[in-house]
Amino acid sequence: MNRLVKWSLVLVLVLLLTPTALANVTLRALMEDVPETRIIEQLLPEFERKTGIKVQFEIVQYGDMHAKLVTQFLSPRSQYDIVQVDNYWAGEFPAAGWIEPLDKYVERDKFDLSQYLPSMLEMVGYYQGKLYMIPQYNYAMGLIYRTDLMEDPVLQQKFEATYGRKMELPKTVREYVELCEFMQKNAGVAGSAMQAGRGDPIVMEWSNYLFSNGGAYYDENWRAVVNSPQAIEATELYIRNVKNGAPAGALSYNLDDAYRVMSQGRAFSMISYHWMLPQLNDPANSVVAGKVALTTMPGGKGLNGGWGWAIAHNSQYKEEVWEFIKWVESKEIAIKRAVMGGAPTRYDAFRDPQVLANWPWYAEVEKIAEDAKPVPEFTYSTQMIEVLGRELSLAASGQKTVKAALDEAARALNQLARSAGLQK
Amino acid sequence: MKMRKFSRWDLQKQEKLTGALFITPTLLCLIAVVLIPLVYSLVISFSDYSFLRPIISEFRGWENFRHAFEDQYFWNSLLVTLKFVVIVVSFEFLIGFAIALLLNREIRFKGVYYAILTIPMVMSPVAVGLIWKMLLHPELGVINWLLSLVGIPPVNWLGTTSGAIWTIVFVDIWHQVSFMILVLLAGLVSLPNEPFQAAKIDGANSLQILFKITIPLMRPVIATALLIRTIMAFRTYDLVYVMTKGGPGVSTDVLSYFIYKKTFMGLDLAQASAISWVLLVIVLLMVLALFKFMRTDEEVA
Repeated sequence: MNRLVKWSLVLVLVLLLTPTALANVTLRALMEDVPETRIIEQLLPEFERKTGIKVQFEIVQYGDMHAKLVTQFLSPRSQYDIVQVDNYWAGEFPAAGWIEPLDKYVERDKFDLSQYLPSMLEMVGYYQGKLYMIPQYNYAMGLIYRTDLMEDPVLQQKFEATYGRKMELPKTVREYVELCEFMQKNAGVAGSAMQAGRGDPIVMEWSNYLFSNGGAYYDENWRAVVNSPQAIEATELYIRNVKNGAPAGALSYNLDDAYRVMSQGRAFSMISYHWMLPQLNDPANSVVAGKVALTTMPGGKGLNGGWGWAIAHNSQYKEEVWEFIKWVESKEIAIKRAVMGGAPTRYDAFRDPQVLANWPWYAEVEKIAEDAKPVPEFTYSTQMIEVLGRELSLAASGQKTVKAALDEAARALNQLARSAGLQK
Repeated sequence: MKMRKFSRWDLQKQEKLTGALFITPTLLCLIAVVLIPLVYSLVISFSDYSFLRPIISEFRGWENFRHAFEDQYFWNSLLVTLKFVVIVVSFEFLIGFAIALLLNREIRFKGVYYAILTIPMVMSPVAVGLIWKMLLHPELGVINWLLSLVGIPPVNWLGTTSGAIWTIVFVDIWHQVSFMILVLLAGLVSLPNEPFQAAKIDGANSLQILFKITIPLMRPVIATALLIRTIMAFRTYDLVYVMTKGGPGVSTDVLSYFIYKKTFMGLDLAQASAISWVLLVIVLLMVLALFKFMRTDEEVA
């Protein structure tokens, strides 16, 4: 009798717990440690209340993400269900079959893609005509500069005397480099807080010079053109700025090192991500708060960057992940994120009155993000950046000539395009 | 008589069996986590395995090795690594031995010194790299500020091709020299007292004692310390990853970081395995040489 009671109790308990156990799905995601991630994390309880699905973020530095993700994709079941895809990987992950195509989900649920900036959808949405990601967040690059130095009458006069033209915001890469050299010489600050450290920092920054000077990585037939005359000129200007317009340690700087120089008032400008602006305007972190502004990269074409949401091919909760993406990218939540300081990818979020009231420069960001160009996305994007980072660093540190470095980079880039089957 | 002999033999057999039983779990673990991956990586290094196609579809013979040997950046990395290992290990040995000798005396506050010495050792290399990167920031770092107080112009610690490797060497020494000190000190403490007393009675001066007695007696310990540090130095990766990413140019591109990039950026595990094996063989050769050094020493003794 006693036994019977005990077993039936166990049975009742099991029956009671089963449905909750089933509804108790926990989705996991590997996320970059940036303000955007913290904003979404704050909103997660709303999603849990609505759907009963828990979401857990594992927040790490950017540099650790790729290796962590790749090992998970290769295991039978990924620890991460929701995948945050950087635009560097937006070719590699779909090509390797590591993330799910989303077309059928979008069609089935009539998910509205029309609000997304075309530049964003092209970058972190489609890969070879198929939709794999929903654009989450953009980090296009632009020029951040010190307004107080631009408005300084003494500097203005001196500039005009030296260059025979008015001191204005530069319209070409060459003008920008000249202005940086001038500031370094006359304003007692570095011209540009550059991030010329080997690896992705130097490649990111250099790409702005390249695109704005009319250069590109590949032509339309996937032949490398990083050694074209425009590219060589852009690279020479870049290195000239490293030598004459940047702080001494620029060749070892990454994003954070450059930011610190700028925020301590030791530089006139930086080519950087637009989300640096609110940090630089925050008096708690920066001595130049209120004296910095953002505009398009001189020459007009900055580097576009962004993240997209995707579903891991080996997740056991694909439907739940899609549920999450639909929620986090719904108009309501997208606007809420932007109001809190997130970097939008949708027109309705960019143009929301509350968003613009909080962050007036988002009108400028929208323009920058619309015109900016991403790095080419294909199977070997990561390797491409690595090769370029090495060769550019060799050229900038004087171990190779610009021509020799770019020729070597072009040779390697052609080989990568051939390996990926893009070049016949 | 016969009975006793048999039982002794039986006992021996039993002892052997017990020994084997004790060692089996360890051996199995080692086979599972060391031998099998090692053999597997050797197999992969002759194949076309990559993260994009994680299967072995064909064997390429020596192709992966040939490819590595034809890569100028592989040779550069090998050179950088050898340079780094030789400089770091010899400096750490010299500094470590000197400090160990200083500590091996009757002095006060020994406990305090030991505590200070162990602090860097327990820190993770990534943290060490990050802290030093901040301290050495050319514009805003504390080090350059302190130098400026005594009139030395700011030093570009990590931004020059000739200087960056020395900065990494310096940080590595700061981080790892305590290991050398502690191992050598343990050796010094355990040396027998008699030879030293005899030498003093015979009127030997302290330099003579050092070169004729201390160092010869310490040779096995020195060899072990050098061996362990050499193996560890070959694997240095974290400092480079955090502080320079191999730059400027390729001036700090050590081989273990080179292999990391082949694996996780190039996604080419076959090539990476091949290069790892080249590194392994080089390290093994150095270890064998050091072992030989240790052996001859024992025979002499």
